[in-house]
Amino acid sequence: MNLVFTLVFLASTIFLCFISPDTVLSSMLTGGEKALTLSLQVVTVYAVWLGVFEIMDRSGLSQKIAKWLKPFIRFLFGDVSKEANEYMTLNISANLLGMSGGTTPMGIKSVLALEKDKNSYYAIVMFFVINATSVQLIPSSILALRTSLGSISPSDIILPTILATLVSSIVGILLVKIFVRKK
Amino acid sequence: MSSFFIPILFLAVFIYGLVKKVKPYDAFTEGAKGAIPFVTTLFPFLVSIFVLTELFDKSGLSDMLVNFLAPFFKIFGVPKELCKLLLVKPFSGSGSLAVVSDIYLTYGVDSYLSRCASVIYGSSETVFYIAAVYFAKAKTKKLLTPIIISLVASFFSSVFACFICLVL
Repeated sequence: MNLVFTLVFLASTIFLCFISPDTVLSSMLTGGEKALTLSLQVVTVYAVWLGVFEIMDRSGLSQKIAKWLKPFIRFLFGDVSKEANEYMTLNISANLLGMSGGTTPMGIKSVLALEKDKNSYYAIVMFFVINATSVQLIPSSILALRTSLGSISPSDIILPTILATLVSSIVGILLVKIFVRKK
Repeated sequence: MSSFFIPILFLAVFIYGLVKKVKPYDAFTEGAKGAIPFVTTLFPFLVSIFVLTELFDKSGLSDMLVNFLAPFFKIFGVPKELCKLLLVKPFSGSGSLAVVSDIYLTYGVDSYLSRCASVIYGSSETVFYIAAVYFAKAKTKKLLTPIIISLVASFFSSVFACFICLVL
């Protein structure tokens, strides 16, 4: 991230110095504003989902789901701790169902739980790639946008999207299995 | 149909909780309490990502990159009009949704380009957002490998999306 940040920052700022030096600060501030707007939006979403997750946790429901999906998790990530297994199951289920507010909190908890184990780099990379290639079954925001713009059949794109998302996840999983060594 | 999904899920969780004698109010508030510290840790990372994308966009570098990469994408069957989406998507979810709606308005919602754009949007994620947010508190800093793998996988699925929209 440091490398990406430095390169893009330097290149953009040097460029802007030539075309319009005034925009440097103003566009940085616009960026900050957008970050604040997003934070305010997500804080409420997280609060609701974390509340629901807490009920799932205390009732033992999340442990139960984690148990069902354990073989699947083991196939992808190898042996992971019970805690990591539980968070990852919730994160992946939330991903599948397109509950975009539910994925991030569980994603962060998963990474922290994974890091407690030694030699978990492989599992962490796999987890990153699975989240980044999003296995989403219902692309809700796109459906809403298509409907609002008067598409004849907004749901036309569901099947192609599922197929394309499968392609990205399979390619991602294969690349991790080939290039990252399991310790 | 899908609008019933979330309410039913919440009802199921609540009822299961009651059966297992969980105090729903206590549990819910305890969980929700975590949201604010959560966002406070995320905030600096979000600012960095957004500042960067804004600079990149305003400097005209993103347009240059689009023009530069367009012939390369074309070899793989990705139309020039979709290049911008492919480049914005890894950085910003809301930004790429704006690009998608722009494509809808310019070419018509049911055109080939618009369907492609929908599929590309739905089948990839904001890779750099995940790198920044999921790893905000983490010690792991070697993220170059997963970032590259994810970008390559997303590119494959975008190429596939342009192809499948011709057929389906």
